Amino acid sequence: MDYDPMVMDDAEALGPVVKISQADSVRVKFELSNADIAFANSLRRVMLGEIPTIAIDLVEIEDNSSVLADEFIAHRLGLIPLNADGVEALLYARDCDCDGCCEHCSVRLTLHAKCTGDENMHVFARDLVPTGDRVNQVLGTPVVSDSEGLGPLILKLRPGQEVKLQCIAKKGIAKEHAKWAPSAAIGFEYDPHNKLRHTDFWYETDAKTEWPPSEYASWEEPPQEGEPFDYDAVPNRFYYNVESAGNLPPDTIVSEGIKVIQQKLAGLIHELADEGGDGMNGDYNGPRSPEYGTGADGFGGGYTTPFGNGGNQSSWGGAGGAGGTTPYGATPYGAGQSSWS
Amino acid sequence: MNAPDRFELFVLSDGEKKISESVVSGMSNCSDFLMLKEDHTLGNLLSVYLKMAPHVMMAAYKIGHPNVPEVLLRVQTDGTVTPREALVTVCKQLVAMYGQLGREFQKELALRQYADQGENAGAGPSGGAGPSGQNGF
Repeated sequence: MDYDPMVMDDAEALGPVVKISQADSVRVKFELSNADIAFANSLRRVMLGEIPTIAIDLVEIEDNSSVLADEFIAHRLGLIPLNADGVEALLYARDCDCDGCCEHCSVRLTLHAKCTGDENMHVFARDLVPTGDRVNQVLGTPVVSDSEGLGPLILKLRPGQEVKLQCIAKKGIAKEHAKWAPSAAIGFEYDPHNKLRHTDFWYETDAKTEWPPSEYASWEEPPQEGEPFDYDAVPNRFYYNVESAGNLPPDTIVSEGIKVIQQKLAGLIHELADEGGDGMNGDYNGPRSPEYGTGADGFGGGYTTPFGNGGNQSSWGGAGGAGGTTPYGATPYGAGQSSWS
Repeated sequence: MNAPDRFELFVLSDGEKKISESVVSGMSNCSDFLMLKEDHTLGNLLSVYLKMAPHVMMAAYKIGHPNVPEVLLRVQTDGTVTPREALVTVCKQLVAMYGQLGREFQKELALRQYADQGENAGAGPSGGAGPSGQNGF
């Protein structure tokens, strides 16, 4: 429909293959094969830097008698992971019509703590309370994943000390500031036996004994003794380890990454085909399709992860085949709410 | 103090076009594409996949300065297709490939969770492997 069915079939037969070796609430480990390293690396880069999340961006300090300076606390607050479930409904503050910030482009959190006892008091992320209207009931809530339910420690107060402040959390991407990164880390490796000689191992006497084998070493055939170097070989299997910081579930990070890169590509197609004017244009009116406004686009349930509904419900509308809605229908171009992709 | 806003790395300013084509006069069937507010993510991806595409003789990209978020992509074809057509085709293929990757991933994820649930059910009601986090899953 939107792209040549021939190409589509080819891709289905030869396209990327995924194998997941571990998936839980913190990380997903998977192997991507049958793709070029450029394809794999673009996905890695996008997951690191360009998935929108929400983080504290402005802090209004009313009172701070703690030992930490205002800007020090503000910096710590910025780095606290906030739940980004439903962040796609939030506008970027720079695109919002409001003056400064409003409930459509920000979430307000307050922190008010005073040490009234004799002991030092610890102030944790759970003491940050979202206030005012929100897009949904979880967006912007501090992520608390420790067993005591406290969240990250923000500061400590001596008896009599007090902090009182208001935070404004905004939507952003990690390219602007690392606090918006959805992933705590993304492991990415290939060629565990270094058959391609893309890396040089430093060693004292013998690299083989001094370097522990990668955890994926047993997944691939080790090189034969005396095997000649295959200079035509290219990497083909890539091992990812996507670790979530808690703001988005790890599998959502992957699917959102795919979505972001598809939007980037769709943006190029849209612009190129638009200028061309003639035949190519026909297929690419997708971004302006009336479907978009109604929310019937392919990405409607962007953040529904299979963890919740225990099923095979995919985040990609096109997958199940309800009319083959493609990412073109969901590019931000029609709605103009996000100008960065 | 006079530092540019950091979102200028990825937000187009007023009137800027994401991608613009300029024909290279010294070479036949050759165009330069200037992508604004983009980086190696698209530059490398497109140049590599253009090199694999039929009728494309040469494709390469450069980022002229690390502080300037602009990608210059040069494409030369054998004349059967224009560089613009070649680029659009490659973009479409890549969108389809990433779409397939997404579907494969969801399929495998469902299988994985099914398998994990099976293991947990076998091991008893403790259900250690998949602790429900704070995120509603």
